[in-house]
Amino acid sequence: MNLSIANILDEIIASVPLLKPELLLIAGFIICIFCALFLQKWWKDSAFAACLATTVVLIYALVEQLGLSATGFSNMWLVDPVGTYARLMIAVSTLIIAIFIQQRYRAHNGDVYSVLLAATLGMNVLAATTNWLLAFIGIEIVSIASYVLVGFFADSKKQAEAAMKYALFGSVCAAVMLYGLSLIYGLTGDLDFRSAQHLQGLMTSPQAMVTIAFLFVFVGIGFKLSFVPFHIWSPDVYQGAPTPVTAFLSTIPKVAALILFMRLYKAWSAGGFYFSDLMVWFMITVAIVTMLVGNLAALRQNDVKRMMAYSSIGHTGFLLMSISAYQDTSSYILFYIFAYVVTNLAAFIFIDHIEQRTGTTELTGYAGLGKKMPLLFVCFTVVAVSLIGLPPTIGFVGKLMIFSAVFDLYGDTQATALVLLLIVGVLTSVISLFFYFRIPLYAFLRNADRQYMEHRGSAILPLLAYVLTALIIFFGLFPDLLLRMLG
Amino acid sequence: MITLTHFLLVSACIFCIGLYAVLAKRNAIMILVGIELMINASILNFVAFSRYDKTNYGGQIFALFAIVLAAAAVAVGLAIILNVYRQFKTINPQNIHELKD
Repeated sequence: MNLSIANILDEIIASVPLLKPELLLIAGFIICIFCALFLQKWWKDSAFAACLATTVVLIYALVEQLGLSATGFSNMWLVDPVGTYARLMIAVSTLIIAIFIQQRYRAHNGDVYSVLLAATLGMNVLAATTNWLLAFIGIEIVSIASYVLVGFFADSKKQAEAAMKYALFGSVCAAVMLYGLSLIYGLTGDLDFRSAQHLQGLMTSPQAMVTIAFLFVFVGIGFKLSFVPFHIWSPDVYQGAPTPVTAFLSTIPKVAALILFMRLYKAWSAGGFYFSDLMVWFMITVAIVTMLVGNLAALRQNDVKRMMAYSSIGHTGFLLMSISAYQDTSSYILFYIFAYVVTNLAAFIFIDHIEQRTGTTELTGYAGLGKKMPLLFVCFTVVAVSLIGLPPTIGFVGKLMIFSAVFDLYGDTQATALVLLLIVGVLTSVISLFFYFRIPLYAFLRNADRQYMEHRGSAILPLLAYVLTALIIFFGLFPDLLLRMLG
Repeated sequence: MITLTHFLLVSACIFCIGLYAVLAKRNAIMILVGIELMINASILNFVAFSRYDKTNYGGQIFALFAIVLAAAAVAVGLAIILNVYRQFKTINPQNIHELKD
């Protein structure tokens, strides 16, 4: 490799087109800040409009990149179809969440959109790299932006507390991960986790050091994915944060971190060395424990947002399970991610709408509401069905594909751990039936014991959620359409 | 003669002190200080290891970025803690428990 300045400059200039979506995002971020600073006096929604325009342009730029597979910036930046689809999902979800925030918090909210765009930038970085430096920067951008989002509307004690817990826990996890990364860098002398030098270094290092370094690094990724035992922040933060922010936290940062983890697993789990066995065993154990803890803890929750937090921990377990069966095709992982994101966004929009109308997120507060808002609760039930994974919804198809992928892998390898994974997966899906179905149970079969003040909610948000619900059923009936797109 | 081992030993000590501060202190700002110590331990590691990576200097670049990110995280953390103080009149995390199972 020639290291003259001219060559390096040539390579950097040649790779700039790969970074086009992110450059647009950065430009949009700066425009958003200026709108919030100067234009907001005359036009209240200027920052929101700038944010919307940026995401639309971003989606367009990403669609242009769809077929592309390339690396740039001396292998630091990786554009491939999986990453581009993930970034596309992130961009679309950002759009939905921006609308969600705008509908919900109309006053003093200009800066929140620039922070949202910054978070999107971080997630794009996570989904498009195999380099530890960029991965760490991505994780930190997403984390810092999320701390700000959680604390942004800090008008109550709960929000302030949630923001503090999140920031302290997240910073500790990031610091531990950084230490692990420094050890891995010391063992291998290379920061690209797919490079031959990196793998070579891990093979020849002492086992104890590799174990410590791995566990430290997984702390940081585990925090972003909120798998057990790094999930303890998520119920508190999900409950305390404003509902649009909870919708954000529970969906897209996980998508980005998952893509990173998938690449890492793919690079490290192949081959029969000590570190690859460690990776596989860690993955299977954590997937099993996460599914069990998430779904069992959700059973005894009374706050719907808290319940959704545990449910999303359970879904993280499923996502880990899907990664542990990851061979060559990634379409089923993307499909499950899509299903998870669409369903969760719809669920949180419904939760928020009910919260706005009746002022409660308690499950008992839903009693008798099914008669007042029939369409909303029918759709909410469909969403719950999709979260459980029953036909004819997109959640069913997603879970089915994960199960069959794991089963295929079992056919190839005959590993008993995979059977255990399958059994726990099916079992926890059955368990999840009990807590998700408490929503329609309370709404339709119980009678209201108290009267609530009726507020008028936003009209656009339920419409958006109905569209998402329609998508859930549509792609549940015709999954081929989506699979062919992702394939 | 100061070797790599000395650097690693010092950084491991700093990391442990930071971790102790995070786990034992009853003040959110002291926890932030602990986090800062942990990050600085990793930065020391990166710079020490970077001596053996003379083509890319990945460790030194990483150290620079880590310093910047740590500063940003602390700034946000302090703002959030200030906000908590306004609401609760205390910054001892043990006394702040509105949210729990």
